[in-house]
Amino acid sequence: MTKPVQLYCWHFMSYPYLPADFDERYDTGWVTVPNRLWDAERSRGLYQEYIDQLAYADEIGFDGMVLNEHHQNIYGLMPSPNLIAAALSQRTRRGKIVILGNLLPLHLNPLRMAEEYAMLDNMSDGRLIAGFAPGSGPETFNYDVPSAPSREQFWEAVDLIHRAWTEDGPFAWEGRHYPLRYVNPWPRPTQQPHPPVWIPSSRSTETLVNIAKRGYCYFLSSRSHGSETAKSQAQFAKVLEDQGDRFDPFRMGILMSAHVGESDAQAQDEAKEGVWYFLKNCLKGHLRREGRMLTAGPGIPYIPPSEFRSYLKFSDPSAPLLGDAEDWSDLQRAQSIIVGGPDTVYRRIMDIVEHAKCGHLLIQFHMGNMPDALVRKSMTLFAQEVAPRLREHSAKLFGRHFPEMERSAEMAQ
Amino acid sequence: MTNTMVAVRGRKVALIEEGRGEPLVYLHGFADVHGVAGDFQPFHLRLGTAARVIAPAHPGCAQSDELGDGYGIDDVIFHYLEVFDALGLTSFDLVGHCVGGWIAAEVAVRYPERVRRLALIGACGLFVPGAPIGDVFMHSQPERGVQLTTLRRLLFAHESAPAGLRFFASARGDVEEEMRRYQMLRFGSFVGFKPPYFYNRVLRGRLYRAVMPAAVIWGAMDRMVPCAHGDAYVAGLPAAKDLTLIAGAGHAAPLEQADATANALIEFLGTTGGAGKRVSNG
Repeated sequence: MTKPVQLYCWHFMSYPYLPADFDERYDTGWVTVPNRLWDAERSRGLYQEYIDQLAYADEIGFDGMVLNEHHQNIYGLMPSPNLIAAALSQRTRRGKIVILGNLLPLHLNPLRMAEEYAMLDNMSDGRLIAGFAPGSGPETFNYDVPSAPSREQFWEAVDLIHRAWTEDGPFAWEGRHYPLRYVNPWPRPTQQPHPPVWIPSSRSTETLVNIAKRGYCYFLSSRSHGSETAKSQAQFAKVLEDQGDRFDPFRMGILMSAHVGESDAQAQDEAKEGVWYFLKNCLKGHLRREGRMLTAGPGIPYIPPSEFRSYLKFSDPSAPLLGDAEDWSDLQRAQSIIVGGPDTVYRRIMDIVEHAKCGHLLIQFHMGNMPDALVRKSMTLFAQEVAPRLREHSAKLFGRHFPEMERSAEMAQ
Repeated sequence: MTNTMVAVRGRKVALIEEGRGEPLVYLHGFADVHGVAGDFQPFHLRLGTAARVIAPAHPGCAQSDELGDGYGIDDVIFHYLEVFDALGLTSFDLVGHCVGGWIAAEVAVRYPERVRRLALIGACGLFVPGAPIGDVFMHSQPERGVQLTTLRRLLFAHESAPAGLRFFASARGDVEEEMRRYQMLRFGSFVGFKPPYFYNRVLRGRLYRAVMPAAVIWGAMDRMVPCAHGDAYVAGLPAAKDLTLIAGAGHAAPLEQADATANALIEFLGTTGGAGKRVSNG
């Protein structure tokens, strides 16, 4: 049978102890959100709770766990996802550990990333999926990384790491940003020739070409899945064809959030507080019009002027963003946070898969300040009642649309 | 006023010229011609009554081509050497505002023989402890999708300054104006985002080389480049006398107080020889 969708549990590790009037009193959850709000006493055990939830995902049959890097914000408390990955490598035995990704231009030397990822690949017995990202708006402010030149720097770092993993050392790297006389990392990765590489991007053709020609997996960095998701898939498929390659569902991943309850009404009732904490607080400064959005715009001028011109032409600055959603129907329109009973969640995710033909589904269960018991209940219901159907039907779907995958699977047997 | 294009090393450079007489190269800032305005404003026109004002757009700004990936302030200085050569300017007056002032100072310390007189208006470029340069990038990210109130507060004497409302309105404006602003920020991100933030730590120690007559002019309420930077230029430039403060102006003094800022420059040009006889007091 064709390979079904791969289901991953993504944890952002948001800060859950904000005051109830945070939204009224603070204009952002990012970069300048005052860190005196951190409650050290209440936060004891917080990382343990989050790591335990990820280990639980591994226990109940998720295909992997996803981590990413953020700085100085309440949305994601993982300035170093590699530390959490190290902990997971010792707590879990089965699922992939996806780091999506290390923000290369923020770090002094990409060789360190090559080394840490190689360590993690060894420590997890070859379960690492290595993500690289350039970092978006907030990170350029957090680490004073200039957004325009950092793109060039990013791809140099990616290529240096790739070569450090795949070519025998020592060799000299004559790069513009990271010249090194001796590249010779120990250890080398367990997975040969190198761990799978995933790279997040919106729809920049330039980035898609860079991903395609290196044989990497494209992670669509969007929290909403309307018609744009299918367009992104088609765009990437076209880019792959232009490179003499071919799209298959496992060249692409997408992010969504879900809460599964016994019924639609119960799911909404129990998820309400966490979902709105996430939208109003964690997305403030990122995907909300309210306050100052730091994720993209004229102050982070990394896209070429021609692309900015079309952005001006096609964007509406007064249009609501995901975090501006006011009720469940707004959320449903955004096709981002899926809340409902098992049937609803299955149907809505399958609908996205049918349109996007995408094989890696990265799903966030913990939202905002959601209590541990509720997160685990939702994950359990998902694993028991949603995942089996998604696997079965996606395998059929992929088999129909990508018969060459079917054939190569048969040959392998 | 003439708008022209020159080619240097295969790249286009947009130029605006106004006036007759001794050449004066004007290097623009953010809230300025090429940065937001497509044409000379009253300040530049007034300056054009006293000199032949030549204002090139920085690489990537207005109609000028970008320098290519990964360039920095040194590449911009070399670029301007090419521009000066292409224009046949061997010795000229050099005036710079904001980031243009930084470039002017960098040129003056390296090639003092080419710069007859130097004038800086709200120039960045120096590291002054305790007086950080404002974050123009963060404030360019609008609040509530379109509001640029804090950007106007950073660049102008107050958030409802008419020039601020004209060029930084809290609404999606003219596409060409938005593009110019974007291109200017992109240029700024190449030369001034990475620490050091719009400064070169060693420039201050090099100012002793810029021995030509020098004027340092500052909006009295500059919150983008605090007046302490003006004091530091005055202290470092051998021929600079006092910091000339423009009352009622913030960082964008040429836009906010066009006559007062232009007159301060014209007076400087008049009292330091050369172009004096051409000064008009009208």
